Amino acid sequence: MKETKLKFPTEEWVRVFKDEINNSEAYAEAAKHWEGDFLFIITPDGGLENEIVCYLDVWHGKCREAYIVPDRDAKKTEFIYEASYSNWKKLINGEIDPIKGILMGKFKLKGSMATIMRYTKAATELVKTARKVPTEFI
Amino acid sequence: MKKGFSMGGYVGRLLHVNLVKNESKIKPLNERYARLYIGGSGLACRILYELVDEGTNPLSPENPLVFMTGPLTGTTAPSCGKYSICAKSPLTWIWGESSAGGFFGPRLKFAGFDGIVITGRAHQPTYLYIHNGEIEFKDAIHLMGKTTFETQNMIKGELGEKKTSIACIGQAGENLVKYASVLNDGGRAAGRTGMGAVMGSKQLKAIAVQGKSHVKLADQENFNKARREATKDILESFTTSMYRELGTAGYVEIAQELGAMANKYFTKGFFDGAEKISGTAIANTILVGNKSCFACPIGHKKNVKIDTGKYAVPKTDGPEYETLAAFGSNLLVDNLEGVAYANYLCNAYGMDTISCGFTIGFAYFLYERGIIKRQSDVKGLKLKWGNIDTAIELVKMIADRDGLGNILAEGARYVGEHYGVEEYAAHVKGLEFSSQDPRAYFGMTMCYATSPRGACHMQGDMYLVDLGQEIPELGIESTDRHSNERKAEIAIRCQNFRALYNAIIMCQCANPTVTSICKLLTYATGYEVKVSEVNKIGDRIFNLKRIFNNRMGVTRKDDRLPRLIMTPLKEGGTLGNVPDFDKQLREYYRHRQWDWLSGKPTKEKLKELELTNRSESS
Repeated sequence: MKETKLKFPTEEWVRVFKDEINNSEAYAEAAKHWEGDFLFIITPDGGLENEIVCYLDVWHGKCREAYIVPDRDAKKTEFIYEASYSNWKKLINGEIDPIKGILMGKFKLKGSMATIMRYTKAATELVKTARKVPTEFI
Repeated sequence: MKKGFSMGGYVGRLLHVNLVKNESKIKPLNERYARLYIGGSGLACRILYELVDEGTNPLSPENPLVFMTGPLTGTTAPSCGKYSICAKSPLTWIWGESSAGGFFGPRLKFAGFDGIVITGRAHQPTYLYIHNGEIEFKDAIHLMGKTTFETQNMIKGELGEKKTSIACIGQAGENLVKYASVLNDGGRAAGRTGMGAVMGSKQLKAIAVQGKSHVKLADQENFNKARREATKDILESFTTSMYRELGTAGYVEIAQELGAMANKYFTKGFFDGAEKISGTAIANTILVGNKSCFACPIGHKKNVKIDTGKYAVPKTDGPEYETLAAFGSNLLVDNLEGVAYANYLCNAYGMDTISCGFTIGFAYFLYERGIIKRQSDVKGLKLKWGNIDTAIELVKMIADRDGLGNILAEGARYVGEHYGVEEYAAHVKGLEFSSQDPRAYFGMTMCYATSPRGACHMQGDMYLVDLGQEIPELGIESTDRHSNERKAEIAIRCQNFRALYNAIIMCQCANPTVTSICKLLTYATGYEVKVSEVNKIGDRIFNLKRIFNNRMGVTRKDDRLPRLIMTPLKEGGTLGNVPDFDKQLREYYRHRQWDWLSGKPTKEKLKELELTNRSESS
């Protein structure tokens, strides 16, 4: 049977992403002490016309909440991870990794460096989890 | 600027000091050299090229010692407050250079000089006081045996000038420890290649500088605009955020994840205890504040303090990434306070933490294998992995040249030769390996193998490029860290760019655009520096250091990586990976236009780089 692909970024994609996070033992181990929520901001390019913002509350290796919010001011979070749509696509496709993306200037990160640096493995596992979501891009 | 010297940014004069006669002369800076080699280690190499040869003993009076600034030192250009110390290295017997931040470099220029060329050996311990265009030779007998911190405080007390910077040696420099460093402005260290031992060999305990003049620029208004642009570039960078909050120590977790950080003397792929010695751990425990060098918007240096216990230290410079590796993961030590104390001791005695930590690591490696005997030289010490107290004791023994310390004071290459196991010593050309493992970043393969000062990550930081930091203006692009394709070619561009950095001298923590750097140089000096010329300027300086080393006997067979680094690891971020050394070296030589047999740049290459003067090509 052909696998149903989910459009990125949509509410449905985010919901499945949340389930994949909660099914990932590798992420649970790498992020078992993580506390802090994110805004993932996807700025328009490559076919995406409007900015899309996703809220993600990850806590001790599990995802408690994940959903699309109206705009970047809708939620105050500890961390913001921001890039253009085409760069998010590269990240999910495994063409760049989350830390390299920042150093290459393709992603911007706001938040405590002290916390982020302790969880580079967790960031990698989070991206691996995203790759498990059957994804269709615009 | 002095009459006859037309370039801005420079003072236009060098102070030549003869310690034998307690004499000094002021000589004009060669303007052609300044244009071709810029300043810092580039300009110093051009000066030393004529004064040193293969037979020169680095610890003899015949080995000159050069302190050099750059055209942006002492200006408001961001992160350009550094100075270089250069000489033939007593550790490697090839090109030696080291640099430090703080305020010494700017104050040397404010005192009226671009640099100091020191020859001879003083008849008795001496320190120099250079102030407002004048020099005094001062007795330093009372300073002998004092730490670098004590020396700085005592000289400041004697001179009574608040805005004085003192570059000095500690006991390690006095005792000619081959990797003795020079410290200034508290804990700012010019660590690598043993410049402190060269100072010690000259009975030169310290140089104090102070002055009130200003650096004149060719075009102040446009320089100010360029400065604002460069500062904006720096502040927007991710690495700046990391350095500001955590210092270079912020890189520990990434380095462990990728397998770049040395564990158990390069034999282990991952160290579980690394998170206890990370930048985050420092921030959460012993950190008491940031320190900035002159005109630096980053402030990556961190002050730490430990109030009680056997590792108590006063407020002092904290360990940076390389020190956390050398005295931490390299020895499988997860005791942060112990590592901070070892760092403090190295600074106090005046020793390079990288060479010292990794030479001790080599001793642990040999002790485990029964090569260093358990009772004889070691005075009952247990050189066991994870034991920081033994490392601390060895630091003291090295500085004092006591027992096993006397052997370790000669560096890892000598230790390997002494025990008949030279092939296990992790060094290149005599300089101890640092902690950007080529098994994690294939781009570091050529950087380490061909660096003019040996196994050094500061003459080409391809680890950052392999991590993702690109410089599109120079064609420096990031590729897969475990790919060999085009790595040698990209590494050359990276080395050339950092050769320019080390000449300017700009701190490598700061990465404005190349365009911004060119504008700063152009408006400071009055001579246009184009982005398209940057690679060639760096290429010239890099090749100048190469032909210096060729004169010291360096050939292709010295361009190598140690056996341990070429051994695949069974775990961690490097898992089974080793670079294809031969492929990279062949490509490197082809792109560099170096002769495969002799290891020298070809005549055509020298001509292209205007290095064909008789003295430069002999």
